[in-house]
Amino acid sequence: MYLYDALDKEFLADRSAEFRGQVARRLAGELSEDQFKPLRLMNGLYLQLHAYMLRVAIPYGSLNVVQARRLADIARRYDKGYGHFTTRQNIQFNWIKLADAPDILDQLAEVDLHAIQTSGNCIRNVTADPYAGATAEEVDDPRVWSEVIRQWSTLHPEFSFLPRKFKIAITAAPRDRTAARVHDIGLVARRDRDGTLGFEVIVGGGQGRTPYVGPTIKEHLPAGRLLSYLQAVLRVYNRYGRRDNIYKARIKILVAALGAEEFARQVEEEWGKIDAARADLPDTELARIRGAFATTPFETLPATSAIFEANKAADPAFARFVRNNVKPHKKSGYAIVEVSLKAIGHTPGDATADQLEVAADLAERYSLNDLRVTHAQNLVLPHVKLDDLPVVHAALQKAGLATANIDLASDIIACPGLDYCALANARAIPVAQHIAQKFADADHAEKVGELKIKISGCINACGHHHVAHIGVLGVDKKGEEFYQLSLGGSGAEDASIAQILGPALPADKVAEAVDTLVDKYLSVREGDERFLDTFRRVGMAPFKEAVYADAH
Amino acid sequence: MKVVTANRLLDGEVVFWKAGQWVERFADAELFADAEPGEAAVAVGKSQPTVIVEPYLIDVTESGSGLAPVSYRERIRALGPTNEPTHGKQAEGGEAIEALQHASGAARSSGRLDLIRRK
Repeated sequence: MYLYDALDKEFLADRSAEFRGQVARRLAGELSEDQFKPLRLMNGLYLQLHAYMLRVAIPYGSLNVVQARRLADIARRYDKGYGHFTTRQNIQFNWIKLADAPDILDQLAEVDLHAIQTSGNCIRNVTADPYAGATAEEVDDPRVWSEVIRQWSTLHPEFSFLPRKFKIAITAAPRDRTAARVHDIGLVARRDRDGTLGFEVIVGGGQGRTPYVGPTIKEHLPAGRLLSYLQAVLRVYNRYGRRDNIYKARIKILVAALGAEEFARQVEEEWGKIDAARADLPDTELARIRGAFATTPFETLPATSAIFEANKAADPAFARFVRNNVKPHKKSGYAIVEVSLKAIGHTPGDATADQLEVAADLAERYSLNDLRVTHAQNLVLPHVKLDDLPVVHAALQKAGLATANIDLASDIIACPGLDYCALANARAIPVAQHIAQKFADADHAEKVGELKIKISGCINACGHHHVAHIGVLGVDKKGEEFYQLSLGGSGAEDASIAQILGPALPADKVAEAVDTLVDKYLSVREGDERFLDTFRRVGMAPFKEAVYADAH
Repeated sequence: MKVVTANRLLDGEVVFWKAGQWVERFADAELFADAEPGEAAVAVGKSQPTVIVEPYLIDVTESGSGLAPVSYRERIRALGPTNEPTHGKQAEGGEAIEALQHASGAARSSGRLDLIRRK
C-alpha cells in the first residue's frame, strides 16, 4: 500500500481548501453554474437526478482499512447509508449535498483519499488488476506502475484539458481483469526472453456509441520509458483529437481515423523529440514507489490446510463459495477471496456502511490490511490464509456478502441507470435484479457456468454492455424503456465487441429472453464450453431464432 | 399541462415551482395550462442562480389516479430511485405518491435533449 508523504498530504489539504472556497463563491452567487460546473466536476461532483453525486477515486482499486472505514462513515453521515462501486473501481455516493462536499473532501483527505480527476476531460483514475500483489500470474506488481502514472497525471498541466476524458488500465497478468483492451490506453506488462520488463501498449479501445477493441501500437515498450511514451501518445491525441464534436472526441476515433500504424508512427516521431532524461521516471523514484508495495508481511505456511479441507467437506455452502469466489494465491497457504456485491435481488455494486465496515474488519484481521475493488463491482480480500477461510466465509454470510456467484450469471454489472443518472435513457438496476432472480438457484447458476451479463442505461456504456457475453442496453423507444440485447462480447484478454441480437425488447421480456438464450446455450453446449465459447462456435443464428421465434 | 421543475442548488433536491416558491412535492406544484406563464416562471427561476439550477418545463397529464409527469424520467425525479423505495420523496408515501408510482408513459422530459453536455 502506497502511503502519502507530507507533500502529498499538504497537496490534498490545499486542494480541499480551494474547493471549499469555490463552493462558498458559488453559494454566494460570485460564480455562475456555468463557471462552477467544471470546477466541481474536477472534484468528482456531479448533479444527478435526485441530488449531487460524489465519485471518489480508489487508485488502482486498492483500499486500506482506515480508508474503507472512512468511506463507510461518509456513507452513513452524508449518504443514505450506501456506497456504490463502479466499473472503474471507484465509489460513488448518490445523496450528497453541495454544502457538505467540502467537509467530505476534508475527511477523505485525512485518510489520503480524494475525488480529483474522477470527472472532466483529463486522465482519470488509473485502474489495475484487483489481484495485484496476490496472483502468481503477474510478471510485476501493476500497482507500482499505476501509482507512477497517478503521480505523473495528477493535475498534469498539459493534459488537464484534453479533447475528452482519458482512461488508463494496467494489468501484469495474462488473464485480464481490467478490460485493458477497451480503455483509451491499456498496458499489459510482460517480460521478454531475457526477463526485461516491458509493456504492450494498446491505444484507442473504448465503448460508448462507437466501441472498439484497441489495437496494439507497441509490442514491448521498455518499462523505464513508460512516462515519456505516454506523454507522446497524449501529445498526439491532444493535438489532433477532435474538439469540434463531443461524440468524436475520444482517442479511439483518432486512432481509427488515422489507422493504428499511422498513429503509432506519429507517436514514435513525437517520442523521439521528448527528452527522456526529463520525462522518464528516475530509477531512484521508481525504487521508492516500488518499496511501498514490497512490504506485504506474508507468513511461511504449508500449501494445504486441514481446517480448510475439513470445512469444505462438511459445509456445502462453504464448498460452493470456495468453488466460485476463492482464487489461487502466489503464496502457499493463502487465497484470494472475492466478496460479491451481487446478492440476488440487491443493487449491483452497492455496499451498505455496515457491509463496508465488515469488509474492513475482515481485511484488518485476515487480509493484511488490504481490500480491493474490482471493475465488476465486487470487493476482494487479497491475502486470506486458507486456515482463516471458514471464519471469513461465516462473517461474510452474516453480513449478506457471501453470495457464491463470481463470474456467474447473477454477477451482473449494471450502471446506476435512470434510477440515479441524469444521462440515462432507461433503468439498469431493476433489469439486473430480474435477471439475477432467474439464476437464484445456485446449482442452476453453477451448471450454466461463467456468464458475464452487463447492463447499461444509455449508449455511454458505463455498464460495459459492449463487452458482455450477454449485453443489455437500455434505449428510449417511442417513450418506453426498451432493451437491446447483444451477444459475444468480452472485456478480458480475448476481447471482442458484442453483436446486436435483434430488435429491442420491452422491460418485462428481458429476463425471459436471457433465460431463453441460456437454455439454447445449454442445449448446444459441447463439453465445458462457456456461453461465450459456444456463441463463438455456433454464431448468432440459433440464439436469434430462440428469442424471436414467437415473432415469426 | 405543464409544471416547472429544477434542482435546488444547496442539496440538489428536486423542486417544483409554486406561485413564486420552490416546493419539494410534485403534488404541490403549480399547474400551467398555457406555455406562456410556465415560461415566465422558468425565466424567474433562471434569475435565481443561488437558489436553483437549470429550471425547465415538463409535461404532466391525468394518469387515472391523479396528475403525473408524462415521462418516466420525470416520475423517477418526482419519486426517487425505483430500486430503493424508502429513498427520496417516495419515502413519505400517501395517495399522491401512489398515483405517481402507478402512472405510465413516455421517456424523456420535454426540452432536455443533448443531455451529455448538460451533466
